[in-house]
Amino acid sequence: MNTLIQLIFGLLAALIVGSAVMVVSVRNVIHAALWLIACFFGVGALYLLLEAEFIAVAQVLVYVGAISILILFAIMLTRESEGARYMVSGWRLVVTALVCVALFGAVLVPTIFTHTWNVPPPAVATPGSPAPPEVLAGVEDLGRGFVFSYMLQFQVAGVLLTVALIGAIVIAFEERARRRRVLTLAEEHEVRKRQKPARPPATGERAPSPQAAPMSDGEQG
Amino acid sequence: MYDILDGLINSTLGFGWPSWLISLIGYVLVATLLFAVAPFQMLFFTYYERRAIARMQDRIGPNRVGPEGIFQPIADGVKMFTKEDIVPDAADKRVHLLAPIVVVAPTMFMFAVLPWGPGMVPVDLNTGLLFFFAISSISAVGLMMAGWASNNKFALLGAMRAVAQMVSYEIPAVLSLLAIVMMTGTLSVVSLINAQGGLFISTNDVAGVPDLGLGWLIFTPVGLLAFMCFFIAALAEGERTPFDIPEADSEIVAGYMTEYSGMKFGLFYLAQYILNFLLCAIAAVIFFGGWQGPGVGWLYGMAISPTNPDGSWIFNLLAGVLGVFYFLAKTYFFFFVMIWIRGAYPRLRVDQLMDFGWKFLIPLTLVNVFSAAIWVAVTSWGVADGFGLVEGWSPMLRWGVAFVTTLVLNGAAYVIVARIYNSAQAARNRFDVDELRESLALPR
Repeated sequence: MNTLIQLIFGLLAALIVGSAVMVVSVRNVIHAALWLIACFFGVGALYLLLEAEFIAVAQVLVYVGAISILILFAIMLTRESEGARYMVSGWRLVVTALVCVALFGAVLVPTIFTHTWNVPPPAVATPGSPAPPEVLAGVEDLGRGFVFSYMLQFQVAGVLLTVALIGAIVIAFEERARRRRVLTLAEEHEVRKRQKPARPPATGERAPSPQAAPMSDGEQG
Repeated sequence: MYDILDGLINSTLGFGWPSWLISLIGYVLVATLLFAVAPFQMLFFTYYERRAIARMQDRIGPNRVGPEGIFQPIADGVKMFTKEDIVPDAADKRVHLLAPIVVVAPTMFMFAVLPWGPGMVPVDLNTGLLFFFAISSISAVGLMMAGWASNNKFALLGAMRAVAQMVSYEIPAVLSLLAIVMMTGTLSVVSLINAQGGLFISTNDVAGVPDLGLGWLIFTPVGLLAFMCFFIAALAEGERTPFDIPEADSEIVAGYMTEYSGMKFGLFYLAQYILNFLLCAIAAVIFFGGWQGPGVGWLYGMAISPTNPDGSWIFNLLAGVLGVFYFLAKTYFFFFVMIWIRGAYPRLRVDQLMDFGWKFLIPLTLVNVFSAAIWVAVTSWGVADGFGLVEGWSPMLRWGVAFVTTLVLNGAAYVIVARIYNSAQAARNRFDVDELRESLALPR
């Protein structure tokens, strides 16, 4: 069983690292976003390998299902997808790399030096053993943690998200009086028909026969 | 599954294979079975939908290939396979190829937690319900890929519409499930079904009542409102008719599928029908007890199961057949309702769709979550939980009080939200008409 887990871990790690490298190395921004989704998915599978089912599912639900979609939306709605013009080079590249490495190190180094490694794995369930192994990070444990031990942090995160939500509404809110309604084809046709008497007869060569006029208007609409 | 294979390989044949290999064989067998069953469900559903919608529209529908046209889906499948596969020159070839796969794969994943009958579930995850909806949200990525890689305006528009719709309607779906999860206290699909045994009360603690398997959550006010919201959201997630704007063929050709032909188009079609099957199935499981029904619990009580190792295998078979029958009957009924709605309602506009989801369904589901909390407090709390008022009431009285309270609360919420929503829509329409009058310079 251990060999199998090692093998799966190796494959998943290769997937995560490989797709993470692809995210920063491909030129097309959309492709980078898609590789990022693959990376998120690999991390979710890694959680599943650690038997943290709920965190794995939450990772897929939040990161793969929602955040990546938002990233794709943002890329598609803002600018063209070829990112070659936005490549940094020279001393700016060095500074960017330094800042990124420093931030990453600030997270990683304390973890490496303070974490207790070589924790023995929990007993593997065998068909003969009476008690099943405890589920790590089950939903109930997480829920208790949120409402008892980490109440303050949970509330602060909630307030932060609410503020972000209200901010988004304020930014996106459109005054009803300023909103322009998109006319349907029939309404547009109607508008043009009504505006026609006011318009100077520029298209004088068109035959003013009653049958031809609505047809040509319909084609314009 | 593991026990049967273990008995067969190691005890009967005496090969002495390691346990991980037997688990692997078991999972591969189950997966193969599901991969065979899923396309047949899709084939049946296409035939079923075409015949039913034809009947509603006073036509005959496909009736030439085989008796009553039953082989029509197979003929369609052969056509799909033999058609030319066209990839546009300007398309992003690799993403274009990957997109149908990313759309189909999650629907197959979702079968992993779907219980077919008593003891017949591929994997009983502790977070099965959440897994189901988390996986279903992945296919939105595939739709986005399809729309973008086709390099076609209509495809991109369709993908944008599809993704916006899926993301918005996921929220009422998950919120209505939250109420159910609060009532049953579990995220596992199997325990959810087990909680729906008994008789009209979603608890099994009334003495002297046989297990008729009718304690479906739909019989509680909370479950009813949750089911209505969930089913509407499921229609939107499955892109069924009132919400089929992503592929509205009178507006944007075929949406994200515009540039696909041959079997790649077939895969989108497959994914859509399998998703519809799964949504109907999960609605049946969550609100209508899945395989629960009169007789199944009694038969399964005498069968070989973890709690009763010395039962008889014949009861396993009988309980399985009856359970799968109940489950599929409910599922097919819900698909019939989907066809029925397709035959009855026109397509919504995008702004109507968004308004309905955000301003009507989400407030209702939020009230429903509150009702579920009241239900849980009245039916199962006591002095230990700081709710000593109900200590000493009989289960029937508790159930009755909870039923009436949540019914009043949900009914009032529905009436109030519906009135607010209606007046808001009416004001909006009035405003639109005023604006139109101004632009037309009509006399008031």
